[in-house]
Amino acid sequence: MSALLETNELTVSYGGLHANSNVNIKAEKGKLTGLIGPNGAGKTTFIDAITGFTNVSSGRAEFNGNDLAGVLPSDRAKQGLVRTFQSLELFEDLTVWDNLIVMAEETKWWSFLADIVKPNRVLGIEEQAEWALNLLGLGEHRDKLTLDLSHGQRKLVSVARALAAKPSMLLLDEPAAGLDTVESQQLGKHLREILKQDISIFLIDHDMGLVLSVCDYIYVLDFGKIIAEGTPEEVRNNPEVKRAYLGETAGEMQAEGGAAAARTLSGEG
Amino acid sequence: MKEAIAYSIMGLGAGGFYALMAMGIVVAYKGSGVINFSHGAIAMYVAFQFYNLRTEGIFRLPWFDILPTSWLNIPVRFNLTDGQPMNFWLCVLLALLTSVLIGALIHYLVFKPLRNAAPLGKVIGAIGVMTYFLGVASLQFGSTIPNPEAVLFKDKLFQNFLGLGLPVSVEALALAGCAIIVGAVLWAIFRYTRTGLATRAAAGNEKGAVLLGYSPDKLALFNWVLAALLAGLAGILAGTVTGSLSTGKFTALIVPALGAALIGGMSSIPLAIGGALLIGALQTFTSTWMVGESWFPSWLQSGARDAIPLIIIVAVLFLKGKSLPIRGNIEEKRLPLAPYPKRVGKYVAIFVPLGFILAAGLPGDFLFAGLTGNWGFSFTTSLVAAMFGLSFVVLAGYVGQISLVQISLAGTAAFITARFVANEGPSDANPFAVGGPHWPWPIASLVGIIAAVLVGLIVAIPALRIRGVQLAVVTIAASISMWTLFFDNPSATKLQGGSAYEFGTPHFFGVDIGSTSSSGLTDNPKYTLFCLIVLAGLCVVVANLRRGSTGRRFLAVRANERAAASAGVNVPGTKFLAFGIASAVAGVAGVMTAYQTGSTAATNWEYGIGLSALAFCYLGGITSINGAILGGMIAGGGIVATFGSFHSPGLYSYTAIMGGLGMIATAIIHPAGQASIFQPLMRHFGSWLLVARGKEWGVVLKRLWPFLLGGGAWGAIGINPWRTDSWNRFWMIVLGIFLTLFVRNIVTQVRAAKAAKALPDTNSLQEVTA
Repeated sequence: MSALLETNELTVSYGGLHANSNVNIKAEKGKLTGLIGPNGAGKTTFIDAITGFTNVSSGRAEFNGNDLAGVLPSDRAKQGLVRTFQSLELFEDLTVWDNLIVMAEETKWWSFLADIVKPNRVLGIEEQAEWALNLLGLGEHRDKLTLDLSHGQRKLVSVARALAAKPSMLLLDEPAAGLDTVESQQLGKHLREILKQDISIFLIDHDMGLVLSVCDYIYVLDFGKIIAEGTPEEVRNNPEVKRAYLGETAGEMQAEGGAAAARTLSGEG
Repeated sequence: MKEAIAYSIMGLGAGGFYALMAMGIVVAYKGSGVINFSHGAIAMYVAFQFYNLRTEGIFRLPWFDILPTSWLNIPVRFNLTDGQPMNFWLCVLLALLTSVLIGALIHYLVFKPLRNAAPLGKVIGAIGVMTYFLGVASLQFGSTIPNPEAVLFKDKLFQNFLGLGLPVSVEALALAGCAIIVGAVLWAIFRYTRTGLATRAAAGNEKGAVLLGYSPDKLALFNWVLAALLAGLAGILAGTVTGSLSTGKFTALIVPALGAALIGGMSSIPLAIGGALLIGALQTFTSTWMVGESWFPSWLQSGARDAIPLIIIVAVLFLKGKSLPIRGNIEEKRLPLAPYPKRVGKYVAIFVPLGFILAAGLPGDFLFAGLTGNWGFSFTTSLVAAMFGLSFVVLAGYVGQISLVQISLAGTAAFITARFVANEGPSDANPFAVGGPHWPWPIASLVGIIAAVLVGLIVAIPALRIRGVQLAVVTIAASISMWTLFFDNPSATKLQGGSAYEFGTPHFFGVDIGSTSSSGLTDNPKYTLFCLIVLAGLCVVVANLRRGSTGRRFLAVRANERAAASAGVNVPGTKFLAFGIASAVAGVAGVMTAYQTGSTAATNWEYGIGLSALAFCYLGGITSINGAILGGMIAGGGIVATFGSFHSPGLYSYTAIMGGLGMIATAIIHPAGQASIFQPLMRHFGSWLLVARGKEWGVVLKRLWPFLLGGGAWGAIGINPWRTDSWNRFWMIVLGIFLTLFVRNIVTQVRAAKAAKALPDTNSLQEVTA
């Protein structure tokens, strides 16, 4: 089976700086794929490149077998490739519910004429939005403006908004940043729940605990290059990863030290 | 070819003037991050000040006497020489002092409080200052058009300059030279002085400058004063280079100056000077040499000069709009919320009849003897202004696109409609009338509105790439240029000597719904009802757009274009749609204005009028429908202004000043506008009147409806023939109802007295409701 999202030698350069160089990634359907890396490794650039928010210098990205080159960000979203932002970027003038609906509804060029006649049409997407809202426990905040919510709740709204579109692939950019351990674990459970709805997930985070515990397959990015990939277990024991995360000295740690490092990586230490 | 070069060199004079202005714009931008739309207005004020000092020795301060007393006044006007010409250097000194005063006032009263406002707030502040100075200038200097003398090398000419065969005035070259010298001084200031360096640092990173111990306020003050001095210097040195201009046309010179400042990327002074000289040279080259060529379109001749800065602005912003420096402020506020419209149907049901009652009832001799016509006309003015305000609500309020071109779109609709609705050409009554195919008015109006939409969509094309403040730059340039290119261009409009297009009287199934009533005044209540219905329709349309998927997408784009794109919203398409809808709304307002006054001329669509309208809409609340309606009520010539002029005649002349001041104050104090204050009041009043009392009203109506109906009919048919003026038909119905109820009440009382046990009327009411 071919991958749902696949990049082939994807490179993004800003001037002389290669933010991503020759990145090859495959995200399988129905799986939770993770991308980890230290700060400044080029994780967000990668998501921006896939979703059309930054220009790709060379290489290609395919979604569902279609080349993404030249496709507008809004059209990628319509094809089912939906992302969240690290900085949330909610629609602050709209209620939580309307934030979800904007994402979910399909509009035609003549939709505004229909609005003039009947603004509150049944759109047939309410069920999906309701599901996303309830999954993330936002039911009671449905009619509040996103401005009036706490940071953690706003984070959840950004995930719910992406889910409302019933995407085939959800790209999450640092969803756990700013969440405490309990909230982070909660989020992990939600992610497994989402997978059951036939939505594949591509998760970017530097919370190793979350990524190692929920992902099926993990890529590790450092200085714009993929330095490792594999199952959580393989990544956990990869010396390259340890070096990237903990510095050169970590590589010197031998057998007994390795277990301690792994604990640190998995957020227990 | 020699001639072409000579003409281009002559244009360097205007170029030098633009350069001085452009440097001021750049300095203000470096110092405070504001694109100062009011720069031209400040230069205009100082130029007029200087002219009046020089010719009559009259010195004025840039404000007006707001005190109503005749014994206590705010000093405004000083006659220094008893009407004699004044010493040249003293004039220069006083004019420059005026500039310093204006610069300091602008900083402390406007832009310091607005430092952390949303970009829209800053633009509004700058436009408020511009509107204010246009108003103060027309109040202080009236409609006089000065004929200034050259300040530099008066009457000196280089005969046969460089052997090119044409005389070039020394003044023009001297002005260009002045600009270059001033530019060198400025460059040195920013390069070598501490304050100049700090300004550049703060323009790059305000937070960093604060951490290094610089006060952004002091830097901004320094730069605002410097910018105002440059504006003043430009105004003083302009001399014969700009020629004799009205306050409005002088202020419009901001457009080429903005173009030059944009060429300099809002930061480079040498590039801005170069750009300014280029624009000046190109303008003179085009307007003198190129128009003489046989291939040049004749309709473009009078406007060619003004098209050049517009083309340059659009090109620069389109090509490098994204690379213009955007200042990172410490804290930036958002636009005010755009509330979800509720109870729209109910409001329409209440206010359309109420408005009609006011329109039909208040004029005539009933309430305000001797003021026939005033109320009806000002009420329709308010209604039309509210329609126009709705176009700002859609575009600026919902989508966050600051468009200043709406007045030109309204004018386009009016002018195009006029051409199609006209029937005959010149006659004895109107030798300037323009003929046309005499189409039915609804079709002609529709064509006009479609034309407005098309023009609006063309203006929207640059908006797809740029946003916010830059869009304001393009649209104000478009508005000013459209006026000279189209509205005030006889070869395009066929209007000779500032004459107006005639609008016929619209009929609706044989009923005259034109604004002119039988008394010959423009106060026909049927036209007011027509306006009410159109306004109500537009309100419902805008409210429904806001409530539906379109409104969600609009607000999503306004909140965050990136996130909107990631949500599958087609951002350019959504902006385009908003421009189209707002253009249509502005077009409707334009056509309704034309029908209201019965004619339309170029002067109705000047950019200053559009700025005033925006000011009042912003004052009312640019993000809500209520705001547009309230803005219409307080607009110039509207009902509030008319009511005010009962108490203080001549209030009209303060419209622009009040609008400008109100706009600035709103931007600083309460960006959501005044409507949000009135809204709870209306809601509670409405629910008290209709919801809580509904049951009781129902009971009363159930008992009395035959009497109301009968009385009304009696009044209309029975009493009316005694009166001859059609105006009072409405009051006769009321009188009939009133008399009938009165008679009925007496009868009930008599019967109640006869039957001792019968309950009085009021008790029976309570019994039923209980």
